[in-house]
Amino acid sequence: MISSADKQNTDLPTDNIVITAIIWTKKNLFNSVFDTIVTVVIAFFLFKTVPPLLSWFFFDASGLFSDPETCKNSTGACWPFIREKSRFILFGTFPYEEQWRAAIASIAVISMVVIMMLKKLTFKQFMILWFIGTVTFLWFMTGYGFLTPVDTIRWNGLPVFLLLSIFSLLASFPLGVLLALARFQDNYPLLKNMATIYIEIIRGIPLLMVLFMGLFILPIVLPPGMNLEPLFATLIALTLFNAAYFAEDVRGGLQTVTKGQYEAAEALGLSYWQGVRLILLPQVFKNALPAIFNTLIGGYKDTSLVAILGIHDMLSTAKMSYGDPLWQSYGLEAYVFVGSWYFLSCFAISAYGRKLENKMLYETKS
Amino acid sequence: MNWLYSSAKRAILIQLGFAIILLSISFIFFLNTKANLANEGIFLGFGFLSGEAGFDVNESLIQYSASDSYARVLLVGLLNTLELAFFCIIGSTTIGVCMGILRAGNNFLGKNLSLVYIECMRNLPKLLILLAIFIALVNKLPHVKQAWSFLDLFFVSNRAIYYSVINWSSATQITLAGWLLWAVLCFFYKKRVNRIQDLTGFRKPFFIPAILGFILIPLIPTIFGINYEVSIPMLKGFDYRGGGRFSIQFVTLALTLSIYHGGQIAELVRGGIQSVPKGQIEAAKALNLPESTIMMKITMPQAMRMIVPPLGNQYLNLIKNTSIALAIGYSDLVSVMSTSINQTFRPIELMAVVMTIYLAISLITTALLNWFNRSTRIIER
Repeated sequence: MISSADKQNTDLPTDNIVITAIIWTKKNLFNSVFDTIVTVVIAFFLFKTVPPLLSWFFFDASGLFSDPETCKNSTGACWPFIREKSRFILFGTFPYEEQWRAAIASIAVISMVVIMMLKKLTFKQFMILWFIGTVTFLWFMTGYGFLTPVDTIRWNGLPVFLLLSIFSLLASFPLGVLLALARFQDNYPLLKNMATIYIEIIRGIPLLMVLFMGLFILPIVLPPGMNLEPLFATLIALTLFNAAYFAEDVRGGLQTVTKGQYEAAEALGLSYWQGVRLILLPQVFKNALPAIFNTLIGGYKDTSLVAILGIHDMLSTAKMSYGDPLWQSYGLEAYVFVGSWYFLSCFAISAYGRKLENKMLYETKS
Repeated sequence: MNWLYSSAKRAILIQLGFAIILLSISFIFFLNTKANLANEGIFLGFGFLSGEAGFDVNESLIQYSASDSYARVLLVGLLNTLELAFFCIIGSTTIGVCMGILRAGNNFLGKNLSLVYIECMRNLPKLLILLAIFIALVNKLPHVKQAWSFLDLFFVSNRAIYYSVINWSSATQITLAGWLLWAVLCFFYKKRVNRIQDLTGFRKPFFIPAILGFILIPLIPTIFGINYEVSIPMLKGFDYRGGGRFSIQFVTLALTLSIYHGGQIAELVRGGIQSVPKGQIEAAKALNLPESTIMMKITMPQAMRMIVPPLGNQYLNLIKNTSIALAIGYSDLVSVMSTSINQTFRPIELMAVVMTIYLAISLITTALLNWFNRSTRIIER
């Protein structure tokens, strides 16, 4: 479909580049008085910010492979810092000779996620895949059996981040679906009210409070003598937190499914769970997909808040990496490094979400 | 076994089972808690709240010293949280609306700048933005002694931003009274302008004179020779005295949360504007309305109905997200709670108090938003 604006363009003498450029500029930058003001303001802003940023990033910076000594005289970024510290940011205080294990464990989890995105899996394949992934991760990290055991206190950086984000999101999604279904049971007021209270309380308090509860309250309510590692307390807290948000998204999807659908499922003689699995959830996922992916990305990013409570995820190791007095003034470089990881991974997740959305749209149309 | 087939009875049975499971889990938790607390020698109770807190906060809206009680330090934290949330809501809405309009507009530069901004905010965690801005400000801003001065009224250093304050005096009283009177006048004038427009179709100027009035009224006391009393921050020793100040922690938090939620609000505004049917804008153009009038009178009122409900959610999230203040040591509610827990080891009571406060804030905000939603709803004739 050609919009009216494009049609106008095609009518113009397009063979002269200069005229085309002038027309384009007039149309896209100086269309009205207000437009001109906006263009001038933004151009001024860019003129003030972009050159200093670029010179910090490239022109005045010491290159990645240059000598760290050159950083002292340069006014720009110090990329040798990344070369020196990237391993620390990724794996932290994991025993140095054993860090290959942390790398393999991280790669295992990342490749599980990638396989899940690229291939359409059946439920059984999915479970097998995740069983393999989880076992590989835990086995390489703990070193249970024939590798040197590593205490969870020394688990740092990327593996911890992946454990907390990916596993908590994976576990919280089914929990969220169950909560949303429970909230939809008009015939079971107790179930419905309990789910509603749970969802609303969790959504009413900050994630940091839930994490505090995981670290302080959870050990108190567990039997005396049972020692819960802070890492796993955090994992449980994150799971419980994300579940409430997923439940809210799924509820939004459930509301769009008409009553006739339930009744048709019942008329076909499907049991409640068959109806949920075959009729309800496929429609719910389609309708709630954008919301679910928003929550997914939000939960993935907010895992970084565990750094505040002394769990050493990647943000926390980045903060520690410039605590070293020798490298004290290069904190921004560390954050650029971690930030690019977040940017790329979140970008990949949202791209996958958009792809899935388009596919589902296409499937319903055909 | 016929009664099993009655869905009403089955529901009661299932719920009974559920209740028993829930109660027994709670009971086990209760027993464990009791045993654990007995081991530590702690007894539950809120009596400690009136005890001396013994720690200082870096800023407070009310009088506070280390010898005040825990209850008071929690109040200080709550007020700091609300102050931060207030500034962030204003900041994020301003940034979000501007960026959203740019994103939906036709300006090439604006559209792409806004796209880059929204994508960055969508893909970066707020804690990372916070820490990066914090060290950038602390490293790049000058020390207190070499603070940047703006007109000798504002001073920017890496410890705080110092600003001048106009003291409460007869001059400010006159100005305030003048503004109030002007507001009432404007209200009636607006009614008159609307009536004339309804009758004749011509609109007398309203907006510019009204704003001009608000700008000129503060000059009245000066004309009559009554001067404002201004408290200007002065460098004394290692710090500034007089005037007001925003600590660098507060500035960093306000900036971070404003740009972070600004990005999300921009996306909402873009969606809202693009949801307005194209015919509406074409019709407005056909009537030869100027671009700004189309935006203010045609696009925005219709977009608002799409924007307002999710915007309320953003505000709720923003209020909750102020808790990341703990990461850079600004004394908000959660950070005050965390210090108190470390001192008293009473996590259960303190968390119950803070949770109740957050839930109350959420409920009040939701009620306000619902009321606002109702007032912007389409009123059918």
